[in-house]
Amino acid sequence: MKISKRWLFGIVFLAFFMVGCSSDSSGEDAVDLNWASPAGYTPQSPVESDAEYISEKVSEFEEENPDVNLNVDVMANNVNEAMARLMEQAESGRAPDLAAIDGYILPNFYDHLQPLDDLMEEYGIDPDDYLPFAKDVVTGPDGKIYGLYMNTDTRVLFYDTDVIPEPPSTWDEVIEVSTKIQEEGYNGLMLPGGRGEGTSVTTLWPLFWAQGGELTDDDGNPTFGEGENREKMLNVLTTIQEAAEAGAIPQRVSSYGAEGDLDQEVATGKTAMFLGGNWQETVIPDLIGEEEFESWDVAPLPQIEEGTDATSAGGWTWGIFTEDEEKQRAAFDLMARLYMSDQGMGEFNNVFGGLPSRESVFDSEYYKGTKFSDEYREMLEEAQTRPPSPEYSKISTEMQIAISEVISGGKTPEQALDDAWNSVNN
Amino acid sequence: MSNFQSVKSPKIKPGKRAFVNSPFPWLLPLGLILTFVFVYPIFEIIRLSFTDASLLGSDYSYTTESYGRLFGQSEFFSMLLITAIFVSFSVVFQLFFGFIIAFLIDQGQKLDLKGTVIVRTSVLTAWAIPGVIIGIIWRVMYTETEVGIFNSLVGMMGMDLIPFLSDPTIALISVIVANVWRGTAFSMILIYAAIQTLPNDVMEAAKIDGANGLQRLFKVMLPMLAPIILVTLIIISIDTFNTFDMVMALTGGGPGQSTEVIALSIYTTIFREFNLGQGAATSVVLLSINVIMTLVYLKILGRQGEK
Repeated sequence: MKISKRWLFGIVFLAFFMVGCSSDSSGEDAVDLNWASPAGYTPQSPVESDAEYISEKVSEFEEENPDVNLNVDVMANNVNEAMARLMEQAESGRAPDLAAIDGYILPNFYDHLQPLDDLMEEYGIDPDDYLPFAKDVVTGPDGKIYGLYMNTDTRVLFYDTDVIPEPPSTWDEVIEVSTKIQEEGYNGLMLPGGRGEGTSVTTLWPLFWAQGGELTDDDGNPTFGEGENREKMLNVLTTIQEAAEAGAIPQRVSSYGAEGDLDQEVATGKTAMFLGGNWQETVIPDLIGEEEFESWDVAPLPQIEEGTDATSAGGWTWGIFTEDEEKQRAAFDLMARLYMSDQGMGEFNNVFGGLPSRESVFDSEYYKGTKFSDEYREMLEEAQTRPPSPEYSKISTEMQIAISEVISGGKTPEQALDDAWNSVNN
Repeated sequence: MSNFQSVKSPKIKPGKRAFVNSPFPWLLPLGLILTFVFVYPIFEIIRLSFTDASLLGSDYSYTTESYGRLFGQSEFFSMLLITAIFVSFSVVFQLFFGFIIAFLIDQGQKLDLKGTVIVRTSVLTAWAIPGVIIGIIWRVMYTETEVGIFNSLVGMMGMDLIPFLSDPTIALISVIVANVWRGTAFSMILIYAAIQTLPNDVMEAAKIDGANGLQRLFKVMLPMLAPIILVTLIIISIDTFNTFDMVMALTGGGPGQSTEVIALSIYTTIFREFNLGQGAATSVVLLSINVIMTLVYLKILGRQGEK
C-alpha cells in the first residue's frame, strides 16, 4: 500500500512538472511549424555553403517571427523510401505542416495539399512564370497551384569544340562523329547505360519522349511496351544497340548508372562528348582544368529523328499540408524567403548549383547563372518530368536492365523490351 | 539441506519454489529477447509474403500471388543460378585461402618469423571494412579505362583493357573475387584460432610415427579441425547468401541482371519497386535456402566430424 502511494505521488508530480515545462517553453500564442525535408534542404545540409545559406535565412525568419517554432524533421536518404513514408503519413492524416517532395511525385499528393494561389498572388509570384514542365507539375486537375517548385536541372550533350566543331544532333551523326574522333584517340559518345536512375532520365526517356512516347497512361498504368509506344521504345533500344555495335558507344557504359559515373571518363582527357546533367558543368573544370574547359560547350541531346527535341527535368518542390491558415502563411513566408522569391530562388540556386524553375529568375539580379545558363533555359522549354505513377520505379528499373543488357550484348532489343514489359506486368 | 531451504525462502509456496529452482527464470529474458528480435520478425516476413502489401500504402489483402509471380519468372531461376555460383565459389575460395593464410601464419610463428602479427592484422582489416566501402574500392580498381588500377597494369603489358564490370561473365567473376578478398579474413581467424588449440603431442606423435607433412596435414590436422571448419562453412555460406551491400556498390546487379544475387533482388523489390509482398516472398525463399543448406552441412559434415 505504501508503495502504491509513493508511485501515485510520483506520477502526479511528473504530470505537474511536464505541464509546467510545456507552458513555459511554448507560450500562449506560439505556433509549431513542422518542416520535413531531405537533409540537403535544411540547416543540417552536409554541404557547408548550402547549410550556411539556409541557416542564415532561417535565423532571419525566426527573428522576424518569434512566435513560430520551427521543427525540422530530416527525411531518409533514400528518396523513394522517404516519399513512400510521406505518402503514408499524408494518408493517415499525420503529414508534417510543410514537406519537400520530389518534383515528379508531387501530383500524387494533390489530394492532401493546400492550394497556394492566394498566397502566391500576395507574395507576387506569378504561376505563369514557371517553366512549362514545372507549371504542369504544380497545377492540380482543378487548375489550382499545389506546389512550390524551387529548383530544377536538365540533361544536355557536353562536347569539346576543339575536337568536335559541330555537335551531333541525330544518332546517325553520333555514329559518324564517334568513329571520326576515335581515330584521333578519343572515346566515342559516353553516356549512362547501366543500372541507375541516370540511365533512365539522361539516355532512355529523352529519346522516347522525343518520338511522342508515353511511359504510362493517365491512370498511371504502364504503356511503354504495347502498341505504338512499344515501337517507339524499340526504336530507342535499337538505336542504342546499333551505336554500340558500331563502336560509337563503348560497352563499359553498361556499368555506369549515374551521370556522375562519367566524371572518371572526362578526367582521362580522352572524352570529347558525353550526355550528362547541367550540374556537371561545375565539375568538369576541376577534372580537366579551367583552361581546357574553355573550349567546351553544350547542345541539345541528339535524337533519333532530325528536328525533334526532348530532355528531362528534375528538381524538388514544397507542399503545404496543414489546414491551419496561420501555419500556411508562416510556411509560405519561410519558403518564399529561402527558395521561392526572386531573391530566394536566385541566391539558393547560386549556392546549390541548380537552375531556377521560374523564367524571370534567370534574368534577375540575384541569379548569377553559369556559362551555359541561357542554353539550359532554352532546353528546359522542351523538358518533361517522369510520370507520377506508383509503377514508375519498377518501369525505370526494368528498362535500365534492358538497355544495360542490349549494350553489353546479352539480349536483342526485342528480347530486352519484352522481358522488361513482362516483369513490369507480372 | 532442508534447514538451508527454510532459511533462504521461508514463505515461498512449493509450486513457486519449483519454478524458482528451475532454469526457466534464467531462460525467460533470453526467450523474450529472441521472441521479439528473431521469432516475431520471421513470423511477420512469412505473413507479409502471403499478402500484396506495398510500401506505398497500408492496405493489403492476403494472397499467394507473390509466390506465383516469383516462381513464374524465368529471371528468378537465373538469379538463383547466379547466387549459387556466387556463393559456391566465394565459400570454397574463402575457406581455401583462409586455411592457407592461417596455416602459414601458424608455421611462421613456430619458426619465430617476424611480421606474422602484421600479416594477421592486415588480413583482418579487409573483414573490418564495411561492404559498401569494399564495393567502392573494388569499383575503383576495376575501372575500365587506363586510370583503373588493374587495367593500367594490363595496359602496361600491352594487352587490351579488360571489361571487368561491363561484360556479364567477367562482372560475375569480378564480384566473386572482391567477395573472396572480403571474406577470407573471417575464415582465416576462425581456422587460425582452431589451429592454436590443436594438441602438440598428437602432431608430434604423428611425426614420430613417420607421417610426412602432407599425411600429417590431411590425416591428422584436418580431421581435428573438421568441427571448426564446419562452423566456418555454415557461417560464411549464410553470410555470402545474405550479401548485397558490396554487390550493390560494385555493380548494382548489372550489367543487366548478371550479378543480381537474391539478397540484392530483395532490396530492389522492396525499396526501389516498393513491392513488400513479393520482396517478403523472396526473403522466405532465401531463409529456406539458408536453413536447408545448414541442415545438409550438419548432416553430412557433422557425421564426418564425429567419425
